[in-house]
Amino acid sequence: MQRILERMQSDLSDALGLAITIHDKRHDEHPSVLAALGVGAEFVDAQLSGIGGPVPDALAHQVPVLSPDLWTDDRWPELTLAAMSDGAPQYESEWEQVHGAAAVPGVWADDATVVVCCTLNRPASAATVASLFNYEQLVSAALITTAAENATAIADIITVLQSRGAIEQAKGALMGLVRCDADHAWKMLRRASQEFNVKLRELAVALVEHVSGAPAEQPATGTPITPDDRTREAARLMWAALSETPLPQ
Amino acid sequence: MTNSQFRCSAAEAEQPPVVTASGDIDLANVNEFQDVLNSAAADSDAITVDLSNVSYCDSAAVRALFTVAATTKLGLIVPATGTITTLLSISGLDRVATVTTVTTRD
Repeated sequence: MQRILERMQSDLSDALGLAITIHDKRHDEHPSVLAALGVGAEFVDAQLSGIGGPVPDALAHQVPVLSPDLWTDDRWPELTLAAMSDGAPQYESEWEQVHGAAAVPGVWADDATVVVCCTLNRPASAATVASLFNYEQLVSAALITTAAENATAIADIITVLQSRGAIEQAKGALMGLVRCDADHAWKMLRRASQEFNVKLRELAVALVEHVSGAPAEQPATGTPITPDDRTREAARLMWAALSETPLPQ
Repeated sequence: MTNSQFRCSAAEAEQPPVVTASGDIDLANVNEFQDVLNSAAADSDAITVDLSNVSYCDSAAVRALFTVAATTKLGLIVPATGTITTLLSISGLDRVATVTTVTTRD
């Protein structure tokens, strides 16, 4: 995916940001950024957080969306230079250069959609949309191939994207507790989520909150993960059981 | 039957060629629509597409119109209200094409 984006960047030399966003409704997930270049990830995250923009519109209506001049576009009054500079101040000078944007949707499986988008430092045009058509086909083809090779790979990618922060923290905590490597920590999380029949990402959040006594780190996009009591109990039991395991001599 | 669904009238005097579409435009016939648009655009730097008698069109038609607008100055004739108008404003196609609305009689 990153390679496709790099190709796009050499093609669309005026692009400040490029992103591939996927939404797999079969797993009832929120849309996630699969790959991004430049300001692409922050650009899409902000739009998905509720202020709207070409990407959520392309996902919702499944039509290509073009905005010649993004900040003044009356379709998304909340998507402004000020909002983006507040949300991602590290890119303030890039946001000031943003002019046009385009987003093109595609379908790569039943109920699974993708949006390829770009934002440019000049007005976007129909030609921008037309070149995204080509890349959307490449991206969809790549997703179809990946999905055919490994049906769970895509679901795993989305899960990890959604809750990467919390899962990484939970893995770190487990690695410290039982002195194992990251792969082993991941397997423990998976096994526990299966044994307790709770979602892995919710278990990860519950675990981090149990250990730290503070809210887990979560992405700004989508709905924050709030584990239910059963999941919190599972996290408590898992942590207690592992804490009692004698350390290898 | 679909042969008459997309008609192209040749350019006259100062006017660009006009592609007149009717009925439904969807995945089933969008390639044909695209072909007519492309051949009309091949001989002219501007074309007008009359969609005022189109009963239904979806994102496939929007893609076809964006594609032709990438290389040609595009004019659109559309009903004042309805799905097509909504599609144009959601997609932003109305910002790169010259849109003329007509009131249609049912």
